[in-house]
Amino acid sequence: MATSKSVLGDSRQIGRAVSLINLGARLQVLESETELSYERLLRLYKEVAGKSPSKGQLPFSTDWFLTWQPNIHASLFQNIHTYLAKTSDLEPVDVLIKAYQLYTEQIASCDIEPQLSITRAWRLVRFMENNMLSMTQCSKCGGHFVTEPYENAKHYVCGMCVPPARAGKGAAAGGIHLQ
Amino acid sequence: MTSEQILAEIREANLTYLMLAQSLIRADKAQALFRLGLPEESADMIEALSPAQIMKIASGTMLLCRFRADDDMVWGLLTNHNVNARTANDATTRLHAGIVMAGRYAAETIAP
Repeated sequence: MATSKSVLGDSRQIGRAVSLINLGARLQVLESETELSYERLLRLYKEVAGKSPSKGQLPFSTDWFLTWQPNIHASLFQNIHTYLAKTSDLEPVDVLIKAYQLYTEQIASCDIEPQLSITRAWRLVRFMENNMLSMTQCSKCGGHFVTEPYENAKHYVCGMCVPPARAGKGAAAGGIHLQ
Repeated sequence: MTSEQILAEIREANLTYLMLAQSLIRADKAQALFRLGLPEESADMIEALSPAQIMKIASGTMLLCRFRADDDMVWGLLTNHNVNARTANDATTRLHAGIVMAGRYAAETIAP
């Protein structure tokens, strides 16, 4: 593209794209977050991941983030993302990459599989920016959780303080288990 | 513990803390701010310290790192005390504490 004439800028873009590919990002994320052309991204993807990128549409509904287990993952990621975005003046892509690394690290320390993929995390940040989802403070524990934009904060209780009846029962290995 | 022992232990802890903080900040500043829970100004200062300065700062009568889980909610979650019986397992409570702490420090560092 015309804007990335600088060789240095170009290499920075490639560096970002490589980290995103390594984190498992879909091609749509790369297209939106870097200024590299589709052809170059495709070649880069094959080189880094050793396979062609998955095809098909991205999940675009906000519902997934509101179901019990994904909500916990999404809330953890979003809290970290907000923290990084507020305390440092990084480019939005870099905040996404760094926050996602911290998220997977924390999940791994709890012996749980990361349910939120980098592509989902990227969608989540977009949904937040566009006020399709927002953060609400739990009235019990004071933590901030991903909710619908117009959740009543006065009565909101998070899925960790009061898990729904069926939550954590049939969870497969690597999920969050409850008694 | 004698007072000499106490001073030696404090110096040891301070040294470890400052050296860890410095290497975290040098490796990745943004992530270090999150891990350490420090404002950027403090991180800049620690980053610029020379080994001699670190030695000097570390030897004092006070610890330089502060306790971060200083409220009942987070403390209860981290120690598995007073939590809902159904969510009382290690992974869930740690995860919950992580969410609460990440959100809290985000709010705190912004407040003037």
